[in-house]
Amino acid sequence: MGSSKKHKEKSRDKDTEERRREHKKHRHKDRERDASDRDGTRDKEKRKRSRSRERSGREGRESRSKGERGSGEPRVKKEKVDLGYDESNAEPAPQSASGDASLSIEETNKLRAKLGLKPLELNENKKELGTKEEPLVAETINPVLIKQQKEMREKLAAMKEKRIQNQKLGKVKTLADDDWLDDTSAWVEKSRNLAKEKEMAEKRAKLLEEMDEEFGVSSLVEEEFAQSKKDAYTSQDLKGLKVQHKVDSFNEGQTVILTLQDKGVLEEEEDVLVNVGLVDKEKAEKNVELKKKKPDYKPYEEEESVDDMVTFKTHSVLSKYDEEIEGEKKKSFRLNTGGFADGEREREIQAMREALRNQAQSLEMPSLTIASEYYTPQEMVGFKKTKRRVKKIRKREKQTAADELQLDDTRSTDFGSRTRGRGRKQADEDVVEIKEEEEEQEESRLPQDIPQMSDDIRMAEMEISDEDDFTPPEPAVLEEDEAEQELQKQLEKQRKLKQKQLLKDSGEKVAQQIKVLAKDDPENDPEKRNNIVFNATSEFCRTLGDIPTYGLSGNREDQEDIMDFEQEEEKEDAGDSDSEMDENVGWSTVNLDEEQKQPDFSTASATILDEEPIVNSGLANALLLCKNKGLLDTQMQKVARVRAPKGALPNDNYCIEDKMGFDDKYSRREEYRGFTQDFKEKDSYKPDVKIEYVDESGRKLTPKEAFRQLSHRFHGKGSGKMKTERRMKKLEEEALLKKMSSSDTPLGTVALLQEKQKSQKTPYIVLSGSGKSMNANTITK
Amino acid sequence: MIEVVCNDRLGKKVRVKCNSEDSIGDLKKLIAAQTGTRYDKIVLKKWYTIFKDHVTLGDLHHGKSPDSLGL
Repeated sequence: MGSSKKHKEKSRDKDTEERRREHKKHRHKDRERDASDRDGTRDKEKRKRSRSRERSGREGRESRSKGERGSGEPRVKKEKVDLGYDESNAEPAPQSASGDASLSIEETNKLRAKLGLKPLELNENKKELGTKEEPLVAETINPVLIKQQKEMREKLAAMKEKRIQNQKLGKVKTLADDDWLDDTSAWVEKSRNLAKEKEMAEKRAKLLEEMDEEFGVSSLVEEEFAQSKKDAYTSQDLKGLKVQHKVDSFNEGQTVILTLQDKGVLEEEEDVLVNVGLVDKEKAEKNVELKKKKPDYKPYEEEESVDDMVTFKTHSVLSKYDEEIEGEKKKSFRLNTGGFADGEREREIQAMREALRNQAQSLEMPSLTIASEYYTPQEMVGFKKTKRRVKKIRKREKQTAADELQLDDTRSTDFGSRTRGRGRKQADEDVVEIKEEEEEQEESRLPQDIPQMSDDIRMAEMEISDEDDFTPPEPAVLEEDEAEQELQKQLEKQRKLKQKQLLKDSGEKVAQQIKVLAKDDPENDPEKRNNIVFNATSEFCRTLGDIPTYGLSGNREDQEDIMDFEQEEEKEDAGDSDSEMDENVGWSTVNLDEEQKQPDFSTASATILDEEPIVNSGLANALLLCKNKGLLDTQMQKVARVRAPKGALPNDNYCIEDKMGFDDKYSRREEYRGFTQDFKEKDSYKPDVKIEYVDESGRKLTPKEAFRQLSHRFHGKGSGKMKTERRMKKLEEEALLKKMSSSDTPLGTVALLQEKQKSQKTPYIVLSGSGKSMNANTITK
Repeated sequence: MIEVVCNDRLGKKVRVKCNSEDSIGDLKKLIAAQTGTRYDKIVLKKWYTIFKDHVTLGDLHHGKSPDSLGL
């Protein structure tokens, strides 16, 4: 207990005894509370309460504090309650020493009952716990024990279950429990019983029969039995039954037992006979087939589209799966009357198939093989023939080559219009008679071509004639082929006849021709000359107009041709007007004859110095000059002329040479290549070339301006108004600047000044705003 | 059985015996019976926590007891 209490004890000695008692009581009470039973304390508490009530009057505060202690409630706080209040409250509710009212358990229980609550639970705290004096040992938890208990429990449960099951199943009789099988005596008894029953049944049947006979019913019974015998299944009934095997699978003289095939009870299919052994055999065969692992997919398989019976099979897609989808189709046959099946029909069908098969024709072509490079001996026989043919062809070629040669010859002799023109040129120079002679010669050379209508026609004729001419050697070459030989002979005959006729006529014709020629030679000429030859270069040059440099170099060979043509034209024109001849209209025409004549004249006049041809009068003159001066090699010209187009066939009207001869092309190109000869005199001449451009006013243009001009011309549109104006202004200013003298102002003041000075004859000039004050400010210079 | 001391700090202080299964509401009724205060006017609190009627004393009694209950 606290020290304060002791202190109080000391101060109040008179209460010592009581205090001691109280102390004891407190102790006792504590002990009691510790103990499990609380009920025992009830009376003591009562006592205490009464005592405290006794004391309350005189002890007051102290006792209260003591009571507080005495209550042993650690939670209770010290509370100072008024004495008077305490007194007054004592009546309705009993109060503890500390001043807080507390009801007894019975009272509380009563109260609780009134309130509808459970009565207080007493002694719930200290049940198993031992008292301080005799503490109870807490039970130790032994896992091993627990385990053992568990096991035991399980064992017991299992045992129980077993027992229950045994009880349940013990009533059922098992097969082995049947005693009659084991017991021989029981068995014997049973069999004996059976035998007895049979005997009894027989006896009974006899009795019944006898009774039937007695009553006369036996006949009826017999009939019934007979009927049942008739109903028995015989071979007659086998008619139409299906046997699910091939006919081939049954051999002659072999007995095969057929049974009805198994089928579902509910399936309503017809009965099918099978032999188990055969079925197995078929299965085995099928398995073997499957084991062979033939590829299912045969893309290039040659399927027989025609059935054996020459009926078209319908090809199903992926027919290999048909069996799997629809089930196997089994071969079967039906039995005939009496259960026979000889397979005669099948055999017949087979025979028919064979027959049809033999009739069939295969459309198969012999397979393709790679051709061998060498002939077989058999083929070699054929090869000789081909050799002959080859020979023939070669001869033909030879012949054609000869033809061509001949053709060329004719061409060399006769160059069409141009050459003839040339010839005519010569004729012009010479006397007309000579020309006539020449013509005669020509005609004699080509007797067939007397009527020279046009070159084309003549050419055609020529070709024919050429062939004719060259036939004679042919038969000698082509001796082998008799048919051909004959043909050739015939042709020869015809040709000879023709030639004869021609020869006959030739005399007359020549005469005629001469006459005609003599009559109208000038008329005949143009006819010959109306063959115009164009080529690209000449045409180009014509459109170009007058080119001063053209032909000066003398490398143009065609110019001669062109000139010829021009000449011809002029000749035609000559009759009309001579004045026109001199005019150079678009093309510098040159009268070659005149030119050629000119030197002639000069030689005629025998002047030592040649008259220099005026170069600017024409191209020809220029050429001539060159020639005279030795700048131009005439030999070269000749060579070029030889190379000139021979094959150029003059046409009636014109022909474009460039498109004509392919052979000429190259030769001509050489001619065009340029002047190969150098001007030896001018070796040292190195010209300083300056290209300058001028505008309309003659002003030299800068490269930039020149380009602008060119560009404007090219595009066909100049710069705008503003731009041109600006440029003009600039130009003007420039011009002014150029005009401006270095010693003078642009307005020419110096000049004016000098003029003024001259007129005034003074070395000075007066500068003034007005003329009045002239003297005022003068400047002397 | 437990005993609960209630003090309104105005002179009323009671010790009430009750079961731990009793709710605060029941306790209030018991207190009301002892003190004479209407039970619905009683607010029990321990410091500043007000106990609600549906809570049983056993819930509160775990570790801490409602020792200071303001009446």
